[in-house]
Amino acid sequence: MATIQIDSLRKEFENDEAGSIVAVEDVDLTVEDGEFLVLVGPSGCGKTTTLRCVAGLEDVTSGAIRFGDRDVTDLQAREREVAMVFQNYALYPHMNVRKNLGFGLKLSSGLSSAGIRERVDDVAEMLGIGDLLGKKPKELSGGQQQRVALGRAIIREPAVFLMDEPLSNLDAKLRAEMRTELQELQHELGVTTMYVTHDQTEAMAMGHRIAVMNDGTLQQVGTPEAVYRSPTNEFVANFIGSPSINLLTADVDGGTLTGPAGFEYALEDATPVAGHDRVRVGIRPEDIRPVNADGNEAEASVVEPMGNENFLYMGMGDLELTARIANDLRPAPGETVRFEVDEAALYLFDVATGEALKTMTDETDVAVGEYTTTGGE
Amino acid sequence: MREAQREFAWKVLTYAVLLVATLVTIVPLYWILVAMTLPESAFLSTATEPRLLPGGHFAENFAALQGRVDVAILGVERVLGFELGFLGAIGNSILIATVYTSLSILLCSMAGFAFAKYEFEFKEPIFYSILATLVLPIQLLVIPLFLLMSRLGMTNTYWAIILPWAANPLGIFLMRQNMKSIPDALLESARMDGATEFQVFYRVALPTMKSSLAALSIILFLFQWNLFLFPLVILGQDKYTIPVAISDLIGAQRVYYDQIMVAAGLSIVPIFLLFLFLQKYFVSGILAGSVKE
Repeated sequence: MATIQIDSLRKEFENDEAGSIVAVEDVDLTVEDGEFLVLVGPSGCGKTTTLRCVAGLEDVTSGAIRFGDRDVTDLQAREREVAMVFQNYALYPHMNVRKNLGFGLKLSSGLSSAGIRERVDDVAEMLGIGDLLGKKPKELSGGQQQRVALGRAIIREPAVFLMDEPLSNLDAKLRAEMRTELQELQHELGVTTMYVTHDQTEAMAMGHRIAVMNDGTLQQVGTPEAVYRSPTNEFVANFIGSPSINLLTADVDGGTLTGPAGFEYALEDATPVAGHDRVRVGIRPEDIRPVNADGNEAEASVVEPMGNENFLYMGMGDLELTARIANDLRPAPGETVRFEVDEAALYLFDVATGEALKTMTDETDVAVGEYTTTGGE
Repeated sequence: MREAQREFAWKVLTYAVLLVATLVTIVPLYWILVAMTLPESAFLSTATEPRLLPGGHFAENFAALQGRVDVAILGVERVLGFELGFLGAIGNSILIATVYTSLSILLCSMAGFAFAKYEFEFKEPIFYSILATLVLPIQLLVIPLFLLMSRLGMTNTYWAIILPWAANPLGIFLMRQNMKSIPDALLESARMDGATEFQVFYRVALPTMKSSLAALSIILFLFQWNLFLFPLVILGQDKYTIPVAISDLIGAQRVYYDQIMVAAGLSIVPIFLLFLFLQKYFVSGILAGSVKE
């Protein structure tokens, strides 16, 4: 068990044509002992590179990585006591499951072959793969390979678990199952875990805290709820949440916001927009409330029934809006829909910098960066 | 033309081409097999009908060959107390080719692994320099190599023909291409599991390369098996390999065709066995990397 502490991490890749490319810049991050932290971001945002630096598979350009009070920055992967689960599992194709699981112990534990056998049996039983020990990886299904890959990480009882999109090669149903199973397993073992994914749903569902990255820099770290409700900037607000937040640019006139295609919103409290001529307005799909009179007008285009609710896609001029509405509400295409938004649920961002000016301010008040270990569970 | 007819026509054409290619390959070999069992007069003279079936003259031809050629091997003949004749040359060829193949497989796969999976200064220039040596003909290398070996005191030793080609450029190239297909994650997961770089190589990379190694073994073995000019120059009669021993049968006055046929026939046997043994790996090894499995 260990705390992972990343200080001012910077990683550049040499590239013949373009000089050097900065993949990770100035990342400061602490993963508490026993915590499940999810690194999330679009592809190419530097999340995997960060994870690989922690693993010791990439040298860092500058900065430091510590496990507990041990500086591991210059140690090789095999000296760091970390275990990693790879996206494509990376099982050794020429070894059966038993040998795959036992390989790490054989190389580094000093256990006798009987001791290794026993540990392999224990871990296999724990993961429900006891009957697969004699099989080769290519004879296993995707889900079974996934379990073997997990087992290979668990068996060495590492100080730190690193997972690089371990569920992305599974089908949707299995992915949801494994998600729960992974969380239970992590909870049971209590090993500090860093988990990389590009899937924000997975991040929200699994992490005690999530760290959102973009363009090589850390955007925000916090509990899933904090990141969702109080994003520090427009990027985080846009990336977290499914369907995505609706965003539009509006002119500020005193306390009135005027957007494209006749969008208008009168703020009761105009302090967040004071001194701004224009702002970016963000509205979560679930905060769009259809009304009979007043409000803004939009034209319904598509309704996607989800069973428990409907996704309504509407147009306001060139602007596309998404709303989550009750399942009994089904506007016909072309029908005019009037909607209102509570001011407490409105997000406002600076046009130039994307910094949040106002985020959700209703009764559940979770501030940015506030963190409790039970927050994500 | 209808689809089925066109398909049939293609099939006929394909088999016709394959049949011609097979005949071109098989006929000379078959002729060697027939000729080695006939007296020289039966297949060289125009007075007799050409024979298509083997005769019963093999033992006589073999005895004549054994009487004409005498090659020693590692002093085995002294231990046995009789001379080995041409069989000594076969022994030498097998010994040299086996040692050469083992050593070369080790060097080529290590070099190939480094070129495929590591980054280092001047990697590309070094690799292309190695490839460039493929175009140098042996004839060009004979004199410098001879001088080198004589300075090293290695003339008339097995090492003289094993060492110069041990780091075989073709082998390095093939292993590099195949090693490239090993997923990086596989090597990284071995590193995470606590493997040293050498363990990553021989515990994880090499075992996944079995078919490529089998294919390369045959290529290297054949290369050494067929070497003629340099062994002729550097080896003494006591260490002759098969091609050199056969060339001894071509005298200034007379060419012993019947004995050459026996020698050629016998020289095929070890290679044939090796290929049978490694055949199933050979084909998949040649294809490895080109076809996604």
